[in-house]
Amino acid sequence: MPVEGPSIGFDFSNYARNQFLGERMNGLPRATSTGTTIVGLKFGGGDTGEEEGICLGADTRATGGPIVADKNCEKIHYLAPHMRCCGAGTAADTEFVTNLISSNLELHAYSQGRPARVVTAMTMLKQYLFRYQGQVGAYLVLGGVDSTGAHLFTIHAHGSTDKLPYVTMGSGSMAAMAVFESSFKQHMTRKDAIDLVARAIRSGIFNDLGSGSNVDVSVITKNGTEMMRNYETPNERGIKSRNYKFRRGTTAWTKESIRSLIVSEEVKMTTGAGKTQDGVLDVPVPIGKGPGGEEGMDVDA
Amino acid sequence: MALFDQRPAYAHEPTVAPIEHRFSPYSDNGGTILAIAGADFAVIAGDTRQSEGYSIQTRYARKVWQLTDNATLATNGFAADGKNFVKRVKQRLEWYEHAHHKPMGLKAIARMIQTMLYGRRFFPYYVYNILGGIEEDGTGAVYSFDPVGSYEREACRAAGAAQSLVQPFLDNQIYFKNQTPAPGAEAFVPGRLPMATVLGLVVDSFTSATERHIEVGDGLEMYVVMKEGRQTTDLTDEGQLPAGMKVEELGSMGEGRGEKTFLVSMPLKRD
Amino acid sequence: MAVQFDGGVVIGADTRTTTGAYIANRVTDKLTHIHDRIYCCRSGSAADTQAVADIVHQHAQVYTAIYGHAPPVATVAALFEKMCYENKDQLSAGIIVGGWDPEVGGSVYNIPLGGGIFRQPWAIGGSGSTYVYGYCDATYQEGWNEEQTLQFVKNTLALAMSRDGSSGGCIRMCVITKDKVERHFIPGNELPRFWEGKEVTGVEAVGLNAADMVIA
Repeated sequence: MPVEGPSIGFDFSNYARNQFLGERMNGLPRATSTGTTIVGLKFGGGDTGEEEGICLGADTRATGGPIVADKNCEKIHYLAPHMRCCGAGTAADTEFVTNLISSNLELHAYSQGRPARVVTAMTMLKQYLFRYQGQVGAYLVLGGVDSTGAHLFTIHAHGSTDKLPYVTMGSGSMAAMAVFESSFKQHMTRKDAIDLVARAIRSGIFNDLGSGSNVDVSVITKNGTEMMRNYETPNERGIKSRNYKFRRGTTAWTKESIRSLIVSEEVKMTTGAGKTQDGVLDVPVPIGKGPGGEEGMDVDA
Repeated sequence: MALFDQRPAYAHEPTVAPIEHRFSPYSDNGGTILAIAGADFAVIAGDTRQSEGYSIQTRYARKVWQLTDNATLATNGFAADGKNFVKRVKQRLEWYEHAHHKPMGLKAIARMIQTMLYGRRFFPYYVYNILGGIEEDGTGAVYSFDPVGSYEREACRAAGAAQSLVQPFLDNQIYFKNQTPAPGAEAFVPGRLPMATVLGLVVDSFTSATERHIEVGDGLEMYVVMKEGRQTTDLTDEGQLPAGMKVEELGSMGEGRGEKTFLVSMPLKRD
Repeated sequence: MAVQFDGGVVIGADTRTTTGAYIANRVTDKLTHIHDRIYCCRSGSAADTQAVADIVHQHAQVYTAIYGHAPPVATVAALFEKMCYENKDQLSAGIIVGGWDPEVGGSVYNIPLGGGIFRQPWAIGGSGSTYVYGYCDATYQEGWNEEQTLQFVKNTLALAMSRDGSSGGCIRMCVITKDKVERHFIPGNELPRFWEGKEVTGVEAVGLNAADMVIA
């Protein structure tokens, strides 16, 4: 009789099933990938008098194979009031990983009583991605401003990070990097930075088939974050030459049945569930600049 | 230092399969072509983008070729094979004209294309062909081919990258699929639509395919072949075409019956 | 690479990180801080080596909190060895640890791919190292001072970078002694130059313009 023991190591029980499904269908289901151009740029600082900040940019095309899945998606994700993160790779992974880390950063800010730093976000993201050994396909450009200054990082799906003054990622990264490598200057003005970022994204939109549609730009300085959604729209669709309105009755039907969807229902009020109760006081929650920010909460109180 | 840990792929596989490395002679250059037959004309169209993977090789590569006064051929698939195939078809047409002192008829060109494609049955031209023009009886015609020569005469056909997007649209608008005629109205007959309607459908097919398919875009070329003696005002008169479109009459290619071919071109989105 | 000398160590590395043929970062810092007087040189997978270095860095901080002094270089190297050996199936990390401690002075530990640990007077690693073993064997001598060691590291790296396509860019070096941790940066257009084959090609190799290569 074989020795019974706890199962150790990987579970391969679904391997045969997945193999079978993969053969029967046209391969296993493929996730929507954001064939993408995303970029980031550090500007200002030095002795120019221009305040230091980060400018992020992204295109707005999402693809599933050669098909455009979304013509105007948002790839600049919110992390914290003073931090944004551009995502390339698998759309679901970039969305989920930024949401998760955003939550954790807010909790972190509450527990520490101060806004989280950009390196903290970077560390949380890289440790999460490293744990999944590249299986979570998120390729990120992280930018933000904190008490130690403006910071810009790239984070690859395997968990490696780079800290650089200008970065690009996604399928259009080479088209965009070509623009940065030829035109980047240290200590640019805010306006020049936005112009260069938009030009880098446009280079991706027009030269990389995985990228397209509009330019999104976000600027982060210590005075606040500005999100310029659809900063440029160089690919508006023209008017169609014909009208495709169908005559009423074009679609054939086999039977007709009309049913009333209106149902009458009597509702009785009980205690709780939104009803004011004796001895319970409703206090409105103050809405400030986020946890630990100007209007942040008092932790020791 | 490498950014990623590049371990051999087989390290993760439970069974080690032999990996075959050899020369791959084909590639897919994207793009889409389309042809619609009218009663006494035919429209053969294609976009002008040529791509490989996520890169654009050129924003202007011709996919539609005038063969004779009454025949125009559109090719799609592997661009190098397409160019070479058209070159050989043209050569055969020239030989025919030298031998018979008349251009080859549309039906005969279609059959010749079949034999040329099937001649490469075991090393095919990776090309989808659509032939359009005027038949000897004066009707507009469209012939579509698969890469090894199976062919069929139809009222319309789309092929290439966005075939799956465009063909259902054409089935609905040309063959009136899923459309019940109004009570008392006469039955729909495919292949009888007026020029303005056909051109409108072609333009909308391509602008829509450009919106939703990454390999379609940059420019659109529509070749219009008209029966001899047909009035051309519905194409050439001012105001017949929307602004931004260019019409050009192509000269006669030989001693034919006098069919006319026009090239209508317009820009498409470049993203 | 890392080289021991009387009173400390010099560590150095190129600045290139690649994804296939694309240079993902041309000014990478592969000389990674572990503790005040202990650094490591990373080669292999960037993600793996960063993760390992981060963990060892944390261990070193905890060690200091517990014992009230910096960990010896040998201890940190042993920590690296433990991680690299126990996770050898999952990692591709080649690490060289270099540092100074009051017990032994400067020391260099090589922890190659399988997770072995070897104390050496000098160590080289990474894809370009195979090209320069001969140069190191022929050139290295005991008893060098700081300046001589620095020149040796710089020349070795420049030779490796010129032969290995996966290495290149600029050179970063770091001198670690009792009194200081001093960083050196050699831009790509100021690298030491050796034989470049002008006898064969008939053309003098042209150095790149400083403006093209340097971003501070």
